[in-house]
Amino acid sequence: MATRVLIAEDEPHIVESLSFVLQREGFSVVSVLDGEAALRHLRSDAPDLVILDLMLPRMNGFEVLKAVKSDPALRSVPVLILTAKGQAQDRRMAEEIGADSFMTKPFSNRDIVAQVHRLTAP
Amino acid sequence: MRRSLIGPTLRERRRQLGITQSKLAAEVGISASYLNLIESDKRNIAGSLLKRLADALGLALDELDGAAERRLVDDLGELAGEALLADLQLDAAGKHDLASRHRAWARALIRMHRAWLDRGQTVSVLSDRLNQNPFLGSAVHSMLSQVAAIRSSSEILETVSDLEPAQRQRFVAIVGNESARLAEVAKALAAFFDKEYTDARSVTPVDEVDDFIVDRNNCFPELEQAAADFRRAASIAGECSTVALTDYLARAHAVRVVVAPSARLDVADVRHHAAFDSASRTLVLAEDAPRPTQRFQLARLATELFDRQEAIDGVLAPAGELTTDAARRRARRALSSYLAAAVLLPYEPLLEAATQQRYHVDALARRFDASFEQVCHRLVSLRRPGAAGIPFALMRADVAGFTSKRFPLPQFALPRHGRACPMWAVYQAFGAAGTMVRQLAEFPTGDRLLLFARTVEKARPAFILPRRTYSIMLACDALHADRTVYGDGLDLSSAAPAVPVGPSCRLCVRRDCLYREEEPIVAA
Repeated sequence: MATRVLIAEDEPHIVESLSFVLQREGFSVVSVLDGEAALRHLRSDAPDLVILDLMLPRMNGFEVLKAVKSDPALRSVPVLILTAKGQAQDRRMAEEIGADSFMTKPFSNRDIVAQVHRLTAP
Repeated sequence: MRRSLIGPTLRERRRQLGITQSKLAAEVGISASYLNLIESDKRNIAGSLLKRLADALGLALDELDGAAERRLVDDLGELAGEALLADLQLDAAGKHDLASRHRAWARALIRMHRAWLDRGQTVSVLSDRLNQNPFLGSAVHSMLSQVAAIRSSSEILETVSDLEPAQRQRFVAIVGNESARLAEVAKALAAFFDKEYTDARSVTPVDEVDDFIVDRNNCFPELEQAAADFRRAASIAGECSTVALTDYLARAHAVRVVVAPSARLDVADVRHHAAFDSASRTLVLAEDAPRPTQRFQLARLATELFDRQEAIDGVLAPAGELTTDAARRRARRALSSYLAAAVLLPYEPLLEAATQQRYHVDALARRFDASFEQVCHRLVSLRRPGAAGIPFALMRADVAGFTSKRFPLPQFALPRHGRACPMWAVYQAFGAAGTMVRQLAEFPTGDRLLLFARTVEKARPAFILPRRTYSIMLACDALHADRTVYGDGLDLSSAAPAVPVGPSCRLCVRRDCLYREEEPIVAA
């Protein structure tokens, strides 16, 4: 079965290009546009990896990350933060909460794909 | 207050008009010798004679009865109080003479002073605007997102050779679309920056030291090491008690410690509750100071004598931003306090206890026999990379709203001078003295912080003096709130209602706020 990636990102064009690139690599991709939907999806059908934006409507990425990492059922799902909030304090906070990887926008497709492969490797 | 100098004003005006003493005296119906006494300020006059003299010389009465002059003197006093002028030692007599003899010059100075204050405030506001304005924050965020979409789509177009025509068209459209949006944001940004921005630069020693500490994240590993070295040298393994410190001072530095009433200390020393006389090697501690304060002063002297300023000098030597002797002295004092606090509240045990007690400040104060304020200060310095506590901001204000201590966070700027938002817990705490006041606050930028504050009472040397009350506030990102006891019982989700605060009225974009006292100078 294909490795499943959840993209939580409110910029539809980023979702589109990311989905395209990841699907070509053989991943199965689902996307949501806000934090609450991300958490709902995680709880109902946990993916193998989440690509998470920090500035999401309804519930920000930090909160989603915190909910994931404090839930024993979800804790092991790797979270890749993909954000325009690239200040040192954001990175530090994300890492403190338990983010597995942190990338800033604008990103290169190749780097994202490499990270996703690394984080989902058996 | 010294009575205004009516005599010299009359004389100066009479001479300007080229009138002789006898002619003026005759005109107002007094003798020339009496007028001479008046002009020499040897006779006080008022009432109808004053009015007649003023009329004869074409002067407004308020220029003669001293009201205008008193205002000038007060304004000059304010000017003389500027830290920038401190080394000129402007004396009180000078401002009276200037106001009475050279009124126009005095007015010119005051006008310049006001303009200078105004410019200073504008400069600092403009620079704060870069960090605080929600528009700027979201514009930068949009640009980065748009660039991300453009870059990702362009890479697909460039690297994927077997794209379907429809797919190719789709990604070309994304690039075109996002480029157009990017141009819009850039245009809006250009419009925003229609005026040139100037960098604010610290001008007072207080500001320089503030910047110095903030730039280093209030984290000084050299001093933590010096504190550990001290404890080892003084053979203090566990609690650093008053007895242990007193013994160390006597044993290693032949210092005698005595406790005496505050009245025996100078005002400057009362503030620190202690005075050290290096000649007699005596440390006098104020007897009315609380035990944690006495202990703190013992630790400060002990570490100063132990360190011989080596660690502190090591921190200060590369600090080129401290441009004046006054700033370096102030920084030295701040670092010396840091060192003493590091001895009394050692890093690892404090971090462990703070985590365990969930940052319950009073519980930590009891555990380490320290004051509320000392614990707050020390919690802010738990920023060692790899072993950091919750990042906290700290602010201390007095009842007049003056900010006397500040340590900001990147997402939480604190006022350099004067007031912040009146809704902040730091001010609300004055209404509930001695009780912890907490709030979940939301800023116009969308940032949510937990603010919690409590007042503390400082000793005063005489009953007649007003109480010395300060409010001390800690603040952390709402995300960390559940790691503290102060978040308990609060709904911390981002959809929950929060107190809609701002930075300060002048920097706040909430135009219809009930608490607004000043017009904003930022664009909404």
